[in-house]
Amino acid sequence: MRPKQRKILQNFNFNMIQFERFELKNGLKVIFHKDTSTPMAVVNTLYDVGARDEQEDKTGFAHLFEHLMFGGSVNIPSYDAPLQNAGGESNAFTSNDITNYYNVLPAQNIETALWLESDRMLSLAFSPKSLEVQRSVVIEEFKQRYLNQPYGDDWLLLRPLAYLKHPYKWATIGKSLQHIEEVQLDDVKAFFQKHYNPANAILCISGNFEFEYIKQLVEHWYGNIPGGIKPARILPQEPKQTEFRKAIYERDVPADAFYYAFKMGERKSEEYYIADMLSDELGKEKSSVLYLKLKKELQLVTDINAYILGSLDQGLFIISGKMMNGKSMDELDSALWEVLNEFQLNPITAQELKRLKLKIRTSREFQEQGLLNRTMNLAYYELLGDANGINEEHEIYNAIEVEHLQELSKQLFVKENCSLLQIKATQSHE
Amino acid sequence: MNRIEAPRLKEIDTINFIEPRKVLIGNIAPFYSIENQGSEAARIELFFKAGTIIDRPVLASLCSGLLLAGTSKESATDIHNNIDDLGGFFDINLSQEHTVVSVYALNDQIIPLLTIVMDAMHNASFPEAEIEEQIADKKQRLRVSYEKVNFLCQRDFQKRLFEGTNYAKVTEIEDYETVTRAEIIDFFNSNYRNGLLKATLVGRLQEKQLIEIEQLLEPWAGKEVTNDTPIFKQQKGNYHIEKTATVQTGIRIGRIMFDRKHEDYHGFVIMNTIFGDYFGSRLMKNIREDKGYTYGIGSALAEMKDNGYFIIGTEVGAEVAAATLKEIQFEMTHMKEQLVDKEELELVRNYLLGQALKSADGPFAMMDLFLGVEMHGLDYSFYNEALKKLKLITAVEIQSLAKKYLVWEEMLVITAGQQLID
Repeated sequence: MRPKQRKILQNFNFNMIQFERFELKNGLKVIFHKDTSTPMAVVNTLYDVGARDEQEDKTGFAHLFEHLMFGGSVNIPSYDAPLQNAGGESNAFTSNDITNYYNVLPAQNIETALWLESDRMLSLAFSPKSLEVQRSVVIEEFKQRYLNQPYGDDWLLLRPLAYLKHPYKWATIGKSLQHIEEVQLDDVKAFFQKHYNPANAILCISGNFEFEYIKQLVEHWYGNIPGGIKPARILPQEPKQTEFRKAIYERDVPADAFYYAFKMGERKSEEYYIADMLSDELGKEKSSVLYLKLKKELQLVTDINAYILGSLDQGLFIISGKMMNGKSMDELDSALWEVLNEFQLNPITAQELKRLKLKIRTSREFQEQGLLNRTMNLAYYELLGDANGINEEHEIYNAIEVEHLQELSKQLFVKENCSLLQIKATQSHE
Repeated sequence: MNRIEAPRLKEIDTINFIEPRKVLIGNIAPFYSIENQGSEAARIELFFKAGTIIDRPVLASLCSGLLLAGTSKESATDIHNNIDDLGGFFDINLSQEHTVVSVYALNDQIIPLLTIVMDAMHNASFPEAEIEEQIADKKQRLRVSYEKVNFLCQRDFQKRLFEGTNYAKVTEIEDYETVTRAEIIDFFNSNYRNGLLKATLVGRLQEKQLIEIEQLLEPWAGKEVTNDTPIFKQQKGNYHIEKTATVQTGIRIGRIMFDRKHEDYHGFVIMNTIFGDYFGSRLMKNIREDKGYTYGIGSALAEMKDNGYFIIGTEVGAEVAAATLKEIQFEMTHMKEQLVDKEELELVRNYLLGQALKSADGPFAMMDLFLGVEMHGLDYSFYNEALKKLKLITAVEIQSLAKKYLVWEEMLVITAGQQLID
């Protein structure tokens, strides 16, 4: 959604995040953000590949691959040691949509990060030992985060309920340990060939540098990496959901838990911003609609939240929580739908809307304190279409009116748009 | 082009430490502030003496959760609505030695926000219904924690390492059954009223606004109680907490150490970095990057008032838990028997210098850095000492520190999970 008119509120003096942009002949997109106040530099590389690009019989692969990116590259046996030697640190994350790598180091040693990062874009070492070890590490990560925690497998259960066709039906970690166990070195090479080339990457650099200096460094280290082809993304489309879905699992946990997942628009749609604000209003703070009604008033739950997944393809609006012992999930179900129906009729006041916007503004100000955050976000907005989106978003939020929230709630909160996962506790407590 | 050779590195020559402005609130409690230039973000932190060691931990925990739970005039919801109207956020963090109340807002809103929070605390009425709700929530959260091997071994480690002192006290489900409203109110009166030990601000405010904050906080200012420092005995031995149907085993290993004033402190931190405190550490290289037993393993020197302790923590595959203990033992022996080679020491030196630079980057980081010395009665010269030590330390010195402290037989070893398989 674009703002209908420019409404700049008095307090809203936004600091624009300045940046410059260029592209190499091999297709690498580069963003540079100058910050004169910091002695540190960030080198962030976003590859346009995530778990949604995996084959259904080889899930968890994009994430395993991220681990392998630290196992040495064609000319450099160790990724981390030279970076640590330069006073820096590195990490990465994989989501269903993207794989993002970042280095934070003293600005005077930025060239070390570019040397390392460009060499692994050129080619990996593809060491069998690295594959063997990282396979075990990822299996332990799978256990630690998803199998050995109470409620740890909730998303492994919810995704295939909410998505029938789209690859969002599996989690980034993968469908099962077995898929990770079966990965072969040839799979690794093929994945690299297809997805890890300059045309499929966005490099974002920040720190106290001159633009020309950065340009020259990037040209030097990345200029002669052969340009690949940005792989076409043809994903199975999720058919429109037309029926209410429900799944119940029993688990050895102390309390029942519930996850209502409503289909919502993709990250680039107007709907995303409205849904974001709607989720704040319904279930973010101790003054939110669901918290007040279902916890404070009816005392059905110990904990309730509403939030959205900012997925690049069709996303999910989640309402989740845990039951108060002794209360039933059926009771909660009717009460929840009642609140949602009531909200559709009587949404919020202008004052409530104003404070939602102010809270978004405060959050943004704190998020932008960190150089790393700013750098990652610029790369992500560039992927969305334009790094400057980072400076335009507040106006989109500002233009949201009560009616938008009301309309969207009518559209989202219908049974046919909902997938419900219930975890029944087998432990009993008085 | 040469891709084999690393680009030449440049030394970090200076780190700028910014001294906060300091005034005393009510002539007792220091109030530190650092300007956040070019940003609207402001944060105030209030350190109360109401930590878990001061009394039964269940009281500290419930009380901290009830600070904004209502007054005779306003409900908890009214208070949260008022905070939201300012676009503000708050959080309350309980530790062994403090409860820290933090508020976050834009510069314009930070004083109105603080006013709401202090007013809610001043008139806190601890409504029965709120107490009951809080207890139900906390009991459930504790039951969920009981399912985690990580929690089980950490808690047992705490109970055994600090045995005989208040630091060993933890909350169990039964504690919630016996606690009364009167006890919570007593706890509040003794540890919050006249219990504000220090306050910090990061933001961009005028002098007269700073004075306004001081006035708001003045009624709360108090002095740290100078209890005798508890005497910790070295605890050792292996203990296992059985938890069936788990696929990973939690591990904690450690011993009592010292605080930042000890002569071995700086050297130990460097030795510990090599051993287990960064991604390229010995523990990570062996147990994750060579054996693949875990997603992560690390060691740290944890700090308390006038004291500290060493701790190694990890979660590993149940079938390799015993093997992991052997590898950790091997790495300790290795640190003691072999001198660290030049290359590794140089890398850790450079790495720690870079991290020092990063830890001083920006006003929020700077305030945290400052508090890190302030709590021990030290000043920034401590960091300069650390940097000096970093430049001068030798492999022989590192070895002698390892010999002195990394003694497997003196460690407390806690595991939680399936029975260990040798």
